[in-house]
Amino acid sequence: MRFIDPSRDEWTSTADATVTPGRGPVLLSWEQWQSVRHDRPTESRLGVVVPNAVDVADLRADLSRLALVVLQFPKWTDGRAYSQARLLRARLRFGGEIRAAGQVLVDMLPLLQRSGFDAVQLRDDQSLDSAQRALRFFASHYQGDVLEPRPLFARQAA
Amino acid sequence: MYTYTEFDRAFVRQRAAQFRDQLERHLAGRLPDDDFRALRLQNGWYVQRHAPMLRVAVPYGELSSRQLKRLAHVARTYDRGYGHFTTRQNLQFNWIPLERAADVMDALAEVDMHGIQTSGNCIRNITSDALAGVAADELIDPRPYCEILRQWTTLQPEFAFLPRKFKIAVTGAREDRAAIAWHDIGLQLLRNGAGEVGFKVLVGGGMGRTPVIASVASEFVPWQQILLFIEAIVRVYNLYGRRDNLYKARIKILVKAEGARFFDAVQREFRAILEQDAGGAEHIIPQVEFDRVASSFATPAAFEAPSAAALRPAGDTPVVYTRWLARNVQAHRLPHLRTVTLSLKRAGQAPGDATAEQMDLAADLAERFSQGELRVTHDQNLLLPWVREEDLHALWQSAREAGFATPNIGLLTDMIACPGGDFCGLANARSIPIAAAIEERFRDLDLVHDIGDIDLHMSGCMNSCGHHHSGHIGILGVDKDGDEWYQVSLGGSDGSTLSGPSTPGKAIGPAFSADEVPDAVEAVIDAYLAQRRPGERFIDTVRRLGIPPFRAAADAARRSTAHEPALA
Repeated sequence: MRFIDPSRDEWTSTADATVTPGRGPVLLSWEQWQSVRHDRPTESRLGVVVPNAVDVADLRADLSRLALVVLQFPKWTDGRAYSQARLLRARLRFGGEIRAAGQVLVDMLPLLQRSGFDAVQLRDDQSLDSAQRALRFFASHYQGDVLEPRPLFARQAA
Repeated sequence: MYTYTEFDRAFVRQRAAQFRDQLERHLAGRLPDDDFRALRLQNGWYVQRHAPMLRVAVPYGELSSRQLKRLAHVARTYDRGYGHFTTRQNLQFNWIPLERAADVMDALAEVDMHGIQTSGNCIRNITSDALAGVAADELIDPRPYCEILRQWTTLQPEFAFLPRKFKIAVTGAREDRAAIAWHDIGLQLLRNGAGEVGFKVLVGGGMGRTPVIASVASEFVPWQQILLFIEAIVRVYNLYGRRDNLYKARIKILVKAEGARFFDAVQREFRAILEQDAGGAEHIIPQVEFDRVASSFATPAAFEAPSAAALRPAGDTPVVYTRWLARNVQAHRLPHLRTVTLSLKRAGQAPGDATAEQMDLAADLAERFSQGELRVTHDQNLLLPWVREEDLHALWQSAREAGFATPNIGLLTDMIACPGGDFCGLANARSIPIAAAIEERFRDLDLVHDIGDIDLHMSGCMNSCGHHHSGHIGILGVDKDGDEWYQVSLGGSDGSTLSGPSTPGKAIGPAFSADEVPDAVEAVIDAYLAQRRPGERFIDTVRRLGIPPFRAAADAARRSTAHEPALA
């Protein structure tokens, strides 16, 4: 799991969605992405912020052009992004970065990791130590997940 | 019972350690209330009127005497000496200080117990038929499937923060003793035309403010694929269930709003899991795993055959014993065995409550008469599943001494009631004093037996923990201008054969004041006794006559509410 320090993040947002060749990676809002997805040149690395209400299957044709998908937690107890991440990984085979943004708490980390997130931007008040400890409580789990698709019974049979 | 493996034991201990870390951060001021709330809820910790409430999971109602003794120990050591069994087969403590919460979880983990997912907006502890595996009318034992479901739902990472709570109930008998149509998912085990085992899957039932009976999502899902089908349902719900309004967030609202589109989406999702997902088919249950889990539920060898001990002739048996045999003893799938209900409905104690001493006594009875195994029933009683016919009289005598032998199972005083406003932070009104007043009014066992089979269910608020919607007589606490009032409804059904197809009851006029409730109930009962046909049960008389004569009888019992303008 990668912990994003916003002050050192390589990804930058842009107000007008125009591309400057050679510039660093650009993170687009969902609206920006919709307006440019048909003609955007490919020289820049692109990321997109996907709202919770979007069916990620709509990204199917474009995923090869994306290096980053940011999924959102408007409240930390709003769990839609877990399903979005799982679908991006297990169904759509997205190999780029999936980042959790918004109200991201350290206690969400095991769930995020198992659902396919590989980067998080923690809420400002969260402790990195606690986050790393949160990932160490369980040795393994009953059901399969994105990291280990086999449930316990399949692992034991292997 | 399911036998915990090393993995299962380690898992519960890891969960307790994780909770201790969260609790310590909270108590140190580093995890604010708002953030801690959902974490403690998913471990069973509510904050109630007086102290936190802990809801301990009793998976599908199976409890060992060793576990019950530990619950007694927890009640004695950390609580004020008692606990409350719930309609969802769990046990609640009401007085444990939060500072001791982690110690309690450690004490429970030592006997393979926990509070995982007994609350919160996640897949809750799975419930089943209290007679699972022993019922005379059972087609397929649901317990191995329940255990496999328990494992799959436990800390499932994608579905920990659903729009709202999510409850699954499973039955494998002809009679539905698990009220499955009232659940978010109801599973009915059956065989198809080819003799293969699978599930009829119901979705979208629920009580609360908007009572809804579940609809059929599939007539037959092969048992091997049930985890995938449930995954499909819960994923559609997680993505599309409403999160803007607490009262419209249950899956029942999504199913109602979308209708066929919801069921089509579930079928599409199910096929996509099977056909497209990396590892999608990994959760198809292999026969070898089913067999491993099922071996835990084998009939205890000692009970396979009748014992050599002869049945003593009963001689002169007191009427209270024959009544106990008739009400508290049920048939068993093995003809030489019986199941026996220990009634937790008696004078002076709230329905479903048991003191630490009573828990110990029940555990002793289980050890002496039932292979150390008990069940928690949906009706908030305890049940011994492995009792020899020839032991019944001795068991009755011991149960009587321990206060468990009230011969009232299925009768008026065997009522379901939530803890209500005496304890619960959500309740609008108290349940316990109303339950006590009704118990007192109907203490005459001759009368209660004459009234016969009846479900009286009582909730202290719309959250419906006391299942008032499904009571033949339902009582719902409501708040009006800060006072406690009680809406009385008639004709509800939990879906049992006796009660008929699941349906919510109908309110009989405006709410009653607290002191009018026993009179209103008595008036309704008197109207039934006066108008019933020979052998006709209460619910059937209500269906035959409709609400008006009962409403008129109850209205005649009004005093303080007699002159209120009638509401429609």
